Amino acid sequence: MEMLEIKNLHAGIEGKEILKGVDLSVGKGTVHAIMGPNGAGKSTLSGVLTGRPDYKVTGGSAFYNGKDLLSMSPEERSWAGLFLSFQYPIEIPGVSITNFMKSAVNARRKALGLPELKPAEFLRLLREKMAFVQMKSEFAKRDVNVGFSGGEKKRNEIFQMAMLEPSLAILDETDSGLDVDALKIVADGVNALRNSERSFIIITHYQKLLEYIRPDVVHVLKEGRIVMTGGPELADKIWKEGFESING
Amino acid sequence: MDKVFVIGRDAVPERVHLQAGEKLRWTLLYDDSLCDSSAVAVRTEIELCGPGADADIAGLYLCRGDSVIDFDITVRHSSGGCTSRQLFKGMAGGNSKAGFDGLIYVAPDAQKTKAFQENHTILLSDTAHIRTQPQLEIYADDVECSHGATTGYLNPDEQFYMRSRGIPEDEARRLQILSFISPILQRLPEETAREIEDSL
Repeated sequence: MEMLEIKNLHAGIEGKEILKGVDLSVGKGTVHAIMGPNGAGKSTLSGVLTGRPDYKVTGGSAFYNGKDLLSMSPEERSWAGLFLSFQYPIEIPGVSITNFMKSAVNARRKALGLPELKPAEFLRLLREKMAFVQMKSEFAKRDVNVGFSGGEKKRNEIFQMAMLEPSLAILDETDSGLDVDALKIVADGVNALRNSERSFIIITHYQKLLEYIRPDVVHVLKEGRIVMTGGPELADKIWKEGFESING
Repeated sequence: MDKVFVIGRDAVPERVHLQAGEKLRWTLLYDDSLCDSSAVAVRTEIELCGPGADADIAGLYLCRGDSVIDFDITVRHSSGGCTSRQLFKGMAGGNSKAGFDGLIYVAPDAQKTKAFQENHTILLSDTAHIRTQPQLEIYADDVECSHGATTGYLNPDEQFYMRSRGIPEDEARRLQILSFISPILQRLPEETAREIEDSL
């Protein structure tokens, strides 16, 4: 059984169909890249997989470790080990990173039948993971993403990923708006979290990020369907020849 | 005059006159889970009568059931050189109705007045009502005055972001409400603030 098994997925927003029959399987411990031009349905796919309420699924299925993903709430999906790094991380004025993460970590532990972390244990974990993504410790007190630069926001996403230790992480256009230095920090974080149990879906418009995070499999999403699947060399081909060269 | 009024328990004076240099700091709290009567009106007028008088008034109203609350607040700048601030925050759920009428009056010779008023509210249900009517009546020309009012729902993008991190929907709402009301919560005694936090 694959970790993630998507079959003939149809979905859209406000009555407009965007995904028109996506098939995708992701095995345990593998890194998949999904590339595609603007409007191909990349963000719709990540939104549908994580349960964004404004997207409506109109057909098909998605199973995650054998569970019907599409019937689960966003929080249940998170407890089951799914994580989305947002293309546009949301600002939450009045909620500090510490309180935000404490709620998230303890809600997950509760759902898994584990006791809450003691305050000292939580702070140790927080510091360790902030250091891991080279985030300055003063960020712990700051409101989530408020006044953060583009790079700081993306780094905060990778920090949250490190805190929550998902088994499947979806990175939605994590490279957009990042300079090369920020890109490298993000990629180093992702690479350090790669292991035989954890899988990644890296959604990207450009091949740049894939130079730093080498995928096992590359898919091309075009007009709401996966039109081609190959190895890492497919990303290089797209870089040289553009998406027009791919015809599904 | 630093005072917290729990509406329904403490009577708010209908009229207060502040003489030169006098300062007032009020925090009005209405929480329908603490209050027996289901329809309450709070009416008060604070008059700044001498230079240097200062009024700092905050209000928090938490309406969750079938309650009806109306605030009618007048801040009257009769003398020049006075300052006033009003910050009222409310949330209305269930079938509750919450109204706020706030008037800043600046008399013709009350020059160098500084007067500010804000009223921000959140609707938590489709059957709750929120009404806000900020008013400025200014007859002096050398003043600094402003008012602002907003009303809306809890931000669904924030909610999804938190839920995607595993924070359950009701806890996400609680965090959003807490962050919304925290500027006024900070003015309340610690025990009262904690009771409110726990009740959300």
